[in-house]
Amino acid sequence: MSNLIQFDPALLRRYDRPGPRYTSYPSSPQFRPDFTEADFRRHARRTNDEPIPRDLSLYVHVPFCFSPCFYCGCNRIITRDTSRGAPYVERLLREAELVSRLFDRDREVAQIHFGGGTPNFLEVSALRGLLDGLARHFRFTTRADRDFSIELDPRCVRPGDIAAYAGMGFNRASFGVQDFDREVQQAINREQSVGETLRALEECRTSGFRSVNVDLIYGLPRQTLSGFRDTLDIIAEARPDRVAVYGYAHLPQMFKAQRRIAEQDLPDAAARLDLLQAAIERLSAAGYVYIGLDHFALPGDELSRALHSGSLQRNFMGYTTHAACDLIGLGVSAISHVGDSFSQSHRDITGWELAIDQGRLPIHRGLALDDDDIIRAEVIQQLMCSGVIDRAGISARHDIDFDEYFADALLQLVPLAGDGLVEVDERHIVATSRGRLMLRIIAMCFDRYISAQATPMRHSRAL
Amino acid sequence: MKNPAIADDGDELHFCSTCAFSAACLDRGYDKSKLQQLHMLVAHVGPFEEGSHIFREGDTFDAIAAVRLGTVKTYVTDSEGREQVLGFYLPGEVIGLNAISQDRYPCNAVALEPVLLCRFSFPNIAALAGQVPGLQQHLFRLLSADIGKAALLSGNFSADERMAAFLVSLSRRHAERGFSAKRFRLSMTRTDIANYLRLASESVSRGFTRLQDAGIVRVERRDIEITDIARLEALARDILRE
Repeated sequence: MSNLIQFDPALLRRYDRPGPRYTSYPSSPQFRPDFTEADFRRHARRTNDEPIPRDLSLYVHVPFCFSPCFYCGCNRIITRDTSRGAPYVERLLREAELVSRLFDRDREVAQIHFGGGTPNFLEVSALRGLLDGLARHFRFTTRADRDFSIELDPRCVRPGDIAAYAGMGFNRASFGVQDFDREVQQAINREQSVGETLRALEECRTSGFRSVNVDLIYGLPRQTLSGFRDTLDIIAEARPDRVAVYGYAHLPQMFKAQRRIAEQDLPDAAARLDLLQAAIERLSAAGYVYIGLDHFALPGDELSRALHSGSLQRNFMGYTTHAACDLIGLGVSAISHVGDSFSQSHRDITGWELAIDQGRLPIHRGLALDDDDIIRAEVIQQLMCSGVIDRAGISARHDIDFDEYFADALLQLVPLAGDGLVEVDERHIVATSRGRLMLRIIAMCFDRYISAQATPMRHSRAL
Repeated sequence: MKNPAIADDGDELHFCSTCAFSAACLDRGYDKSKLQQLHMLVAHVGPFEEGSHIFREGDTFDAIAAVRLGTVKTYVTDSEGREQVLGFYLPGEVIGLNAISQDRYPCNAVALEPVLLCRFSFPNIAALAGQVPGLQQHLFRLLSADIGKAALLSGNFSADERMAAFLVSLSRRHAERGFSAKRFRLSMTRTDIANYLRLASESVSRGFTRLQDAGIVRVERRDIEITDIARLEALARDILRE
């Protein structure tokens, strides 16, 4: 596939509508409260029964943050009380013990991701205890390609921390930057210096981390083109292996912290597009490869190589080379993807704690995929990861006639094809260079739940 | 991938399309109504849900049954409670044959997924077989094929050879009933496959991985695609005695 992207402001504005990010299909608003612990156990057992049971991937959610970033829509708890870490880790390990019993012992953990919140809210010793504990309940692979990653807030990195993380086995780090512009940082309540950020990045390199990711956000309050360009210059210069450029989704009715952002400070649609365009141009000029959606990577990075070899995958952690895993989410609000099921833990800390204290799996809601979900999930996965849908392959694998099965979707694609976002030939549906920035819009044509029920405000804007 | 569709149902006079007996009976001029006159009751039974038993070891033998939909596993349990898998039965195949010479079923039969059966009960097998010679012959043929299937895997063969023979056998049996020889879903768990092939579960997974890495099969969860049947058959040759 060509990784070329063509920036067409008029088209982008026309298609800028809310839609899921497709880190899963069906997306999380479709999860249902009638999915129970017993369902989860059944799905887990079935994955053991497969001829080649998949490797495991662990997502560990650490919800604590010292202060609230106003743009954030993540599940988090704001506190300066670091003593809350120890009992949380203790419960995480009890949860890990409960869950690990459901999976055969020969199944290896190939991927671990610590996300948040702020994982480095926890002291080094607590993180080490957590990782060691997980290694007692699960079998970590010793393969060189394992991904053990941690999201880090550079503002709470203490000297020696990063070397210690590397010593524990972490080999990937991800830093939130958003924008170095002081005005913006004050408006989002996240004041973070260039110096401490670059120091942390450099320390990752010298400590032997295989890959470093930096998150930027466009569409933030008081953000300007010149300020964001300065940020992009600094980042391009620092050359992290991966850069994610997310569009800020202002949904104050869903995320309380966002109510502290003044609506009039937000850039308008045209300004948002200018910011996005600046990011794409600057990163492309610096040699970054466009992976898809919001993600860029250096040509030598595994994501770029996976993109070119067609082995790129997508899961709740974004793009990855390891999605052929059963994903186990640990911690408050964490999402699991085991076999043909999705499930999410309690989003309130009390409910999560109570379940674990009673020896129950803290499952709050979930979904058992039906045959239709499975087919559509594969179509959307192909599109999001390669920009190409292989109609003949889908037909053969799922014993359907693609064109008949997706007659409605193909009809919805007609105007998109007319606008040059997709090309439909005998065997394939291909996102063009103009459509590459609008994969979500194309994917929405194949989303049964979008046409079935309009939920415009539950998703962020597509751009 | 979908499971094979259910076989065409028969009716009062006609056999189902997958029927294990229709050819033997029709060749001799016996249709369903004639069999009924001989007190051989042919009845569709089920569905049996996943994990439910169709018969248990020691139950009084009163019928054999052809699988119409789903997969049936037969097994015995040794004195220490360890399970020993005897075989897997796909649509069109007959369970209960190994009880014919006795009064009781010598093994357990359990549904691995929703199962529909066509049940042939015969109060007097000898009388019936005497009157329908073709049926007797056919029963013997099924019986010896059943014994042969189990014997194939008892030799001194490598894990890869066992796995290959298992997959070739499944492929051919699917094809015989008009389903795809190349793509099918494994309805049995890896533990059951391992038990049946006398291997450890991990060895089964490693075997599948080797076959996949060699480009011979593709495995996606429980869906199997045979991408190089010639090499798979070559691996299975010694076991299948071809």
